Amino acid sequence: MRALAALVLLAAALLAATPPALAEKLVSTVSNDEVSITSSFAGEKLTLFGNIEPEAGAPQRYVEGPFQVIIVVTGPLQDRIARLKRPRFGIWMNTEQVVFDNFPSFYHVLASDKLSDITDEETLGRLNLMPESQARITATPSTADEELFGRELVRLMTEQGYFGVKEQGVVFRSSTFYSGQVSLPSDVPPGSYLAHTYVFKNGELITERSEGFAVRKIGFERFLALAAQQQPLLYGLVCVILAVFTGWLGGVVFKR
Amino acid sequence: MASAPARTTQLQIYLPIAELSMNLFFLVGIGGAVGFLSGLFGVGGGFLLTPLLIFSGVPAPVAVASVTGQVVAASTSGALSYYRRGGIDMHLAMYLVLSGVLGAFGGVAAFAALRAAGQLDLVISLGFLLLLGFVGTLMLVEAVRSLLKRRAGIVVREKLPNQHNWIHGLPMRIRFKKSKLYISVLPVLGIGLCIGFLGSLLGIGGGFILVPALVYLLRVPGTVVIGTSLLQVVAIMAATTILHALQSQSVDILLAFCLMVGGVVGAQFGASAGKYLRGEQLRAMLAVLVLAVAIRFGYSLIVGPADPFSMAVIGLGGVL
Repeated sequence: MRALAALVLLAAALLAATPPALAEKLVSTVSNDEVSITSSFAGEKLTLFGNIEPEAGAPQRYVEGPFQVIIVVTGPLQDRIARLKRPRFGIWMNTEQVVFDNFPSFYHVLASDKLSDITDEETLGRLNLMPESQARITATPSTADEELFGRELVRLMTEQGYFGVKEQGVVFRSSTFYSGQVSLPSDVPPGSYLAHTYVFKNGELITERSEGFAVRKIGFERFLALAAQQQPLLYGLVCVILAVFTGWLGGVVFKR
Repeated sequence: MASAPARTTQLQIYLPIAELSMNLFFLVGIGGAVGFLSGLFGVGGGFLLTPLLIFSGVPAPVAVASVTGQVVAASTSGALSYYRRGGIDMHLAMYLVLSGVLGAFGGVAAFAALRAAGQLDLVISLGFLLLLGFVGTLMLVEAVRSLLKRRAGIVVREKLPNQHNWIHGLPMRIRFKKSKLYISVLPVLGIGLCIGFLGSLLGIGGGFILVPALVYLLRVPGTVVIGTSLLQVVAIMAATTILHALQSQSVDILLAFCLMVGGVVGAQFGASAGKYLRGEQLRAMLAVLVLAVAIRFGYSLIVGPADPFSMAVIGLGGVL
């Protein structure tokens, strides 16, 4: 009898200790895992999609929403500098600057709803989801106002189309299947990209997953870019020979 | 920086070093338009092309480095035709080129140092403003004066090349047979050095400074001045292209090639059109053009940029 009571107590304790059914899992993918930059490259659209499913071995056979999704697409990291021009001695020149180490070259946030409706400020801040938080993380301490320069850097990146937040950028096709689209502009920096998907339910983060994809120059463009870096002398000589030849040919063709 | 050009037309070409795509017709078109003017006035056209590219969104280092390649092409056909006609003083050109290449080393080093310090665009703007403003004003005054004299019916007597000035009193004199000059080598080397330095720093051939310098300072006769200057521009710009490729790896060969094709074709039409205009008229028009570019640079320096904040990539981040 006492043994039975102990067993029941233990079971109750175990039940209480297990968190409320965390049984959702995310299955997601990207339409292209490699974006090729060719001579006619003028940007590309990528579709990110996925489904929220019950965890394998979970007792229930279906998941219950409503779910909210935030996808963050991050590009290769670069060291970037933000500069401020001020008039000095009657002319405008760069005066103050702040360096941002390992700052993402591309940062787009797609969400299925208004970010403030999906979760609270505190969670958004903790996950560093907003573009502004990227500037805060990467700023190197300096005498200038880092906060201001960070905001302005994010504004410049947004104006150039490298940064962006698209609320309603993710659409649910059914109660569990979503898709979203991100556009890479033609001047997208080549390198490895990361698409990180966060799934929320009632404002709580329930599961997350990352997919990588690569943006690469291929063929002739790749050859030229590599040649410029690895054989700069030869590359420069070829440029000059090409220029002299073009000039000579022009003279011959037009009999100048 | 301007926003990326519209992507409506199909003929986009991806520039692998500039890392953006631009309209092929636009590139060949501005190459052709600048080539037309360069053929018309007998200058390289770098001083127009570099700013045009920067204003259309090409990163400044790529624009400066790639235009040097275009200037080589634009000046080669002219230099070759002068060479065949015997319009080049090879002896004089050798001194100019040697000192010019030395200047180009300095210019490319200064370019890299200023870029790191964040003051490259300031120096480029100031350089264009002062240089073009000064040369443009001189040219305009001279051209207007001779136009007015012609209108008044006074026969203009060209300044004779054997009229001396203080420069001819310097030591280390050398005889340049073809130019019929017996002058000190020091001003020759000095001019070469300056043109090499400014040309590689600002992405211009420097023909529009070199020709007046050779004419007014050294009294090089008109028969060889254009050819010699063109040869110097080809040599300096070729050296600069290689130095930029080595130093900053910012020469975009595709961008340069598009500009070259347009430039070489445009130059032929410009040269033909030039035959219908008188020398003074051409010089006055070129002066106005040079001044317009100077004013454009001065405007943004004095009035201030549209956006006081700017950004630049200074290196690759750590591995993701």
